[in-house]
Amino acid sequence: MPLNVDNIWILDIFGIEVWITETIVNSWIIMAILIALAIFIRIKMRKFKEIPTGFQNLVEAGVEMFHNFAQNTLGEKLLYISPWFFSIFVFIFSSSLFSIFGLRAPTADFATTGAFALATFILMIVLGTRHKKGEYIKSYFEPHFIFFPLNLIGELAKPVSLSFRLFGNMLSGTIILTLYYSLTPIFVQIGIPAFFHAFFDVFFGAIQTYIFVIISQMYVKTAAD
Amino acid sequence: MEALAKAIGLIHIAASIALLNGLLTTFGQAKIASTAIESIARQPEAADSIRSAMFVGLAMAETSGIYGLLIAIIMLFANPLVNQLVSLIG
Repeated sequence: MPLNVDNIWILDIFGIEVWITETIVNSWIIMAILIALAIFIRIKMRKFKEIPTGFQNLVEAGVEMFHNFAQNTLGEKLLYISPWFFSIFVFIFSSSLFSIFGLRAPTADFATTGAFALATFILMIVLGTRHKKGEYIKSYFEPHFIFFPLNLIGELAKPVSLSFRLFGNMLSGTIILTLYYSLTPIFVQIGIPAFFHAFFDVFFGAIQTYIFVIISQMYVKTAAD
Repeated sequence: MEALAKAIGLIHIAASIALLNGLLTTFGQAKIASTAIESIARQPEAADSIRSAMFVGLAMAETSGIYGLLIAIIMLFANPLVNQLVSLIG
């Protein structure tokens, strides 16, 4: 498990080099698994019952749990964007679980986390102008228009800290496990890394996913409410 | 070659200094956790909301530690200034 992100092949689109890296291929695999799961659930849900039983019960419990969680942080008015946060939640959590199999997690690359933080930033601007209209733009000039650069830097620091937090946590787990695998003899590599994987991938992955989602929701709520 | 060795040594010292901010980060996180536990013990019925607020606070306090880690990683593995440093020393 080398530390740098491998480049698998280089596409050439009209003279512009597009690098297909390990991260992109791994996130394609995760996307394929998640889409297959979604189609499977959709087919299973075709016989929808008023009173849920069996598999439908499980799906409804999961959706309802996230719905309540989003209702507490986002509030009633912004609840219509909670499906977007649910998909982010599922994707980030399954990509941190991905490194259990010895492959590189897509969240241990700044390209992935930066893209998610950029999406949150765009969501903040779009929903802020949609719900508060002129007041959102005015909030950059509060309390006086001299404060505009400070407010702008404060706003730009939000996606930077959001993406670096997730990236740093996932990368630190990857680095520690790489060091362990490359420095120890082969007979201690059986069984013992399971604890490291449980701690760095499952536990840290779950907590960082929760924090990423809850902090993006808080940023969106402060921008839009 | 000697200049490169000196530069690498300096870079490692700098990376370890960048990681020293973990001291203060850990201190702040310990304070957050102990205060949260105290308030949960005082008011067990509010445990859920206190726990979620504690996680958000921990994540906020962790940011500076993560920045230090990233600076150390960039200095060790992707240092953009290593050539200038070598030419300056050598």
